[in-house]
Amino acid sequence: MRTHCAILRASSGGAWRDHPGRLVLAILGIAFGVALGVAVHLINASAANEFNLAVRSLAGEADLVVRGPRSGFPDSLYPYIAKRAGVRAASPGVELDAQLAGRHETIKVLGLDPFRALQVQPHLLLESRDALLDMLKPGVVLLSRSAADELGLKPHDTLRLQSGTQVVTLRIAALLPAGATGQRVAVMDIAQAQWIFGRVGELHRIDVKLEPGASTARFSRELAPLLPAGTIIATPEAEAERSASLSRAYRTNLDMLALVALFTGAFLVFSTQFLALVRRRSQLALLRVIGVTGAELTRALVIEGAVLGIAGSALGVALGVGLARIGIARLGGDLGAGYFHSVAPALHVDPAALAVFFALGLLFAMLGAALPALEAARRAPALALKAGDEEEALSALQSVVPSLALFAAAWVLAQAPPVGDLPIAGYFAVAAILVGAILAMPRFAQAVLSRLPPLRYAPATLAAAQLQATPRQVGVSLAAILASFSLMVSMLIMVGSFRDSLAAWLDQMLPADLYVRAGRLGDAGFFTPDEQARIGRVAGVASAAFIRSQNVYLRTDRPPLSLLARPLPRGGSAPALPFEGPVLTPGAGDAPPAWLSEVAADVLRVTVGATIDLPIGTGTQPKGTAAKRFVVAGIWRDYARQNGAIVVDRATYVALTGDERANEAALTLDPGARADAVAEGVRAAVANEAGVETISTRELKAVSLAIFDRTFAVTYALEVAAVLIGMFGVSASFSAQALARRREFGVLRHLGMTRRQVGAMLACEGAVVGSLGVAAGLAFGWLISLILVHVINRQSFHWSMDMTIPWRDLAVLGAALVAAATVTAMLSGRRAMSGEVTRAVREDW
Amino acid sequence: MRRSPLAKASRRRRLLTTLALLAGPSRSFAQALGATSSLTPPTSRFTPFKQVLPGYRILFPDDEGSHPEFRTEWWYVTGWLDREAHAPLGFQITFFRTRPAIDERNPSAFTARQVLIAHAALSDPARGRLLHDQRVARAAFELAGASPGSTKVWIDDWSLTQDAKVYRARIPAGDFALDLAFTQTQPPLVQGDGGYSRKGPHPESASYYYSVPHLAVTGAIQESGKRTSVTGRAWLDHEWSSSYMDERAAGWDWIGINLEDGGALMAFRMRDSKGGKVWAGGAYREARGVRRAFTPAEVDFTPLRQWRSSRTGATYPVAWRIRAGALELTLEALMDDQESDSRASVGTVYWEGAVRALAAGKAVGRGYLELTGYWRPMKL
Amino acid sequence: MLTLNAVTKSYAGPRARQVLRDVSLSVGDGEFVAIMGESGAGKSTLLNLIAGLDLPDAGSVVLDGTDLSALDDNARTRLRRHRMGFVFQAIHLLPHLTVSQNVRLPLDIAEMPRDQANRRVGAILEAVGILKLANDFPRSISGGEAQRAAIARALVHEPQLMLADEPTGNLDREAAAQVLTLLREQVKQRAGGGILVTHSGSAARTADRVYVLTQDGLAVQTG
Repeated sequence: MRTHCAILRASSGGAWRDHPGRLVLAILGIAFGVALGVAVHLINASAANEFNLAVRSLAGEADLVVRGPRSGFPDSLYPYIAKRAGVRAASPGVELDAQLAGRHETIKVLGLDPFRALQVQPHLLLESRDALLDMLKPGVVLLSRSAADELGLKPHDTLRLQSGTQVVTLRIAALLPAGATGQRVAVMDIAQAQWIFGRVGELHRIDVKLEPGASTARFSRELAPLLPAGTIIATPEAEAERSASLSRAYRTNLDMLALVALFTGAFLVFSTQFLALVRRRSQLALLRVIGVTGAELTRALVIEGAVLGIAGSALGVALGVGLARIGIARLGGDLGAGYFHSVAPALHVDPAALAVFFALGLLFAMLGAALPALEAARRAPALALKAGDEEEALSALQSVVPSLALFAAAWVLAQAPPVGDLPIAGYFAVAAILVGAILAMPRFAQAVLSRLPPLRYAPATLAAAQLQATPRQVGVSLAAILASFSLMVSMLIMVGSFRDSLAAWLDQMLPADLYVRAGRLGDAGFFTPDEQARIGRVAGVASAAFIRSQNVYLRTDRPPLSLLARPLPRGGSAPALPFEGPVLTPGAGDAPPAWLSEVAADVLRVTVGATIDLPIGTGTQPKGTAAKRFVVAGIWRDYARQNGAIVVDRATYVALTGDERANEAALTLDPGARADAVAEGVRAAVANEAGVETISTRELKAVSLAIFDRTFAVTYALEVAAVLIGMFGVSASFSAQALARRREFGVLRHLGMTRRQVGAMLACEGAVVGSLGVAAGLAFGWLISLILVHVINRQSFHWSMDMTIPWRDLAVLGAALVAAATVTAMLSGRRAMSGEVTRAVREDW
Repeated sequence: MRRSPLAKASRRRRLLTTLALLAGPSRSFAQALGATSSLTPPTSRFTPFKQVLPGYRILFPDDEGSHPEFRTEWWYVTGWLDREAHAPLGFQITFFRTRPAIDERNPSAFTARQVLIAHAALSDPARGRLLHDQRVARAAFELAGASPGSTKVWIDDWSLTQDAKVYRARIPAGDFALDLAFTQTQPPLVQGDGGYSRKGPHPESASYYYSVPHLAVTGAIQESGKRTSVTGRAWLDHEWSSSYMDERAAGWDWIGINLEDGGALMAFRMRDSKGGKVWAGGAYREARGVRRAFTPAEVDFTPLRQWRSSRTGATYPVAWRIRAGALELTLEALMDDQESDSRASVGTVYWEGAVRALAAGKAVGRGYLELTGYWRPMKL
Repeated sequence: MLTLNAVTKSYAGPRARQVLRDVSLSVGDGEFVAIMGESGAGKSTLLNLIAGLDLPDAGSVVLDGTDLSALDDNARTRLRRHRMGFVFQAIHLLPHLTVSQNVRLPLDIAEMPRDQANRRVGAILEAVGILKLANDFPRSISGGEAQRAAIARALVHEPQLMLADEPTGNLDREAAAQVLTLLREQVKQRAGGGILVTHSGSAARTADRVYVLTQDGLAVQTG
């Protein structure tokens, strides 16, 4: 032990005492990498956990949940299930999103039979059982705590909600118990919910508690075939899974970003450690000379790495938890993307996950120490003692074979299908490209630097000579830039492509001049046929197309799809949609046509020409629940409905269902008509103008793109963080290098170089390294973006897009990075020369 | 036409108060909820409750069914069960119906035009406390309801039905089950004045009320998974009202005793918050059928012994001396702890238990005692 | 050519001390002088003052009629670049440059045309006897060879003054003797003058004149 301490003191103590800055940099590097990973992971995990809790809290003690589409199922199913053998209690529910009057927000309204809920979901109502009795009185709601907090309401306040074009005023009798649910939800009597929101005869869920000992599997197996089309029975666990799948792809993407951040951070840790140790080679060699064995030295250095790793990881975990707390408070569980708006997550800290991130930080720190330590231990001390031997330490980084193998693997992985709806292979392909590129950097540096043209300017000549002489060390610095910058580039290209495709798509999807929606959000709003006729007669309206949209369940394990009944253009056989591929025109005797979005086609695993059964006709008529057969006539690109959309002809829809209501209208205006005047007319034409949203096509496009930008803001933020970490790594390595080169600067000063010239020399080095890193980052970032666009996005979101490259953004970013590298290098040199640099010529090391 | 106050036999049923509260915008309930304004928007439509008025005559069998236009109604069966080689048990089965003040225009099939609540309890001295369970449901989709014309009330698989002179109760509860038939051995005992039973100084606090004493019990009970055949004697109360409790009343004491000589005694006392008598009443019918009703002054309840519940801290008098006209009885509980915690359904705790009636130290009858307002005033 | 007039230098700090007191010295054209002294006598400080890397508290350092104290840092740097050459005890060839790149460094810094520089470098490498090592890296040559290269670097631009700080401190006796001989010969041939700082008496004996630096000042060694 004494020996160990002595060795450690000799190998590490001095280095740390002399250069505490280097020590701080190394710890900070590890901490930042770990912190970013921890923060993003925690925010995701908290949101996912809240999803699970949300589902669980509504289902309560239910063993099974029968669930229908947004248009519901007939409530006659309730007594049928309640009386079924094996059922101990059944709690019916109406579930809908209602728009808050005068606000652009919705709240989930849950209509329950409080007496049945007390049997199946007791935790929701037990505490408020006095108010429970009050719930039967007209206009009474209970509000969850999170909804009350969010809306700033308290008991006995009123809650104003939109129903159709009407506003209903409800009285808050009490709040739900604090632990009942984290969802923003208003609970009311089921009969009132049905009546107020135009859902008489409809249910959306029945939570079923079975007799003790009854088999849930057998019960659901026997009941499933007896349920109306589009209605499913599942355990609450499966429910939770299905809700979570809504945002799973998005969350997986975020988790991957967290890993990228960690990876970048880890690489920074690795390279900092690595280069620092490489520069301490001669000291280490001396230790070998005076009798420290190779194994002892390696052990000492790995312990040093571990100490740094522990300090950095611990700091990083603490920092990450703090960031997650702020992130959740400021942005919400989806980091502002709008996925979980009804859920208000609390930070859910999973110690196991923290341990994993801590361990990863520690592992990379030790690895960064172990590799050069092993090399230093192996190298003959006499050789390592000599100045200039550092480059030999990196000779292992010479081979390009591993890189080529990784690129080949990436190509193969990119061809693989998704795993469980997630593009796992795609992510591995990205990782393979990244690692391959990093490993190729020393060789790349060597190849490029040896071709540098001769320069007349002395500092530049010296810089070139320095870089040419140390291509492998340059390679390690390049890799740090590459790791972060290539991902930033790929993200920019992907998001840019997405945005351009979205803009083009919006142009095609929004040909009318003015759009009108009943109850802008949620599904409680609609136009009656009478209102539709009045809207069509508003002065200035040349033509009005009314759209009925609703949600339908087609697969039990997936969120519901949007079913859009919209009129065909005059004389046309297919709606004007951004079709991808062929479009069929069914004959007179065929099933009516349905046009599926890419997501819907992928989810249902159908192609053009196939037939599908749509559970329509369950609307407000409890009678017909049979599915209707349609033929897939075309597949179109849809960025709006992530869970898939199916378009059918509205005439066909009305004929099949008798449902003549509409949620939206697309108005084409007479030439010269003013959009705001027409909007005014539309508001006057409906029963309650507050329930109508009108928006011009221009505004709608602007809003859509704004939402898009908000969604991706967090992506940018994370990427910027990754780049900053990368830059931090570069600066740390420059600083370390500058400190190690103090004697060289001293000699140069003796030989008559001014401080400015030495600074210029370092700036040249920084600029060259930065430029090479940016160039490599652009190239590999482009490669990765191909995988993001064509593999990962296609598989996660089922969205295709056209690739566009945002040259201007990339140029600006690249220039900024080169400038940053240049300035960083220069500043690090200034710091190194701030002391009595000329005295360094008399230091032996 | 008004009858003497003697006719205002009434009864207890604290639950009723609860029910009354549940049923409409009664002031105390609204206060309890902290409501500051009417809960019923002026636009909603609600047919007013039918009022209990003097002069009405209860008619059989029609009045044995439900009276949905009144605010509250209940069917209450209490009694003693005898088993082979075991000590006797007490039991209670109650179905309440209440009519909430909803908006009647609501076309939803879930509209809670009526709500049903059921309680069941078993008093086994070997256990020392009650086995108790309850159900609540709205009358919708035939899953719960109360039929007019003849007694038929049910919530899911709990039911009390009548077929001519035989009532049948099926109560598969959580920890026990009752499957009992009750056969009339005597004609119904119409309480108050032809069924008009006054409950307080104001004539509007009143109910329509009849009892069926000396029901012969046969059937089986299931306890701890064991099914046992039983016989016994029971008492049925059927009472409906729209305004039951006087404002000053904080609780009540009630008894219904099947006397061994074939006589039947019902007596009640409405107490104020200090324990004073707000109102009292009752009726005694001799075995040969002569019926006598009591004025408030003729009925006295005198506590003899207290028992304190360690669960709720409430203290109940569990032994009594009762005077009703010329009758003087001492009551002894089958067991002290017959406290019923119904906070989960109607929000109150009360004592409802089997009692022995003694006269001059000799057992002369068996019946049930109900004590409300001892845990907290029956104000909710 | 070089004159020091009553130069005094102190260092501030917790252990403030006067390092040089009233030191005067002159080196004439073509002169090669040695300065001897114990460790801590102020030899390095004296060299730094002569090189213009530091300025005296009192007195003056005059090189060819220019008082260094009157120049700013950049002017003094240019003075070093063009008119001085340095040989260090630790040699300090830049490890990532070849021998010839190291030697031509002063010419590059002075931006001498490439051809002319090449000729100069070839000539001096030949003169110090390591032409065949021109393209080797410093780590692959011996200490004596490296110091020859360092001497070549110090004199390749034909400075007026060459400053050598213990140039043989890291060398064995034979190599040391050769390097001293070479140094003297090259200074005489290519420089205006030279100063050799050493604590070795045998090294000092190669000089034209020997000074001894003590706490009391600088004195010419006699005898």
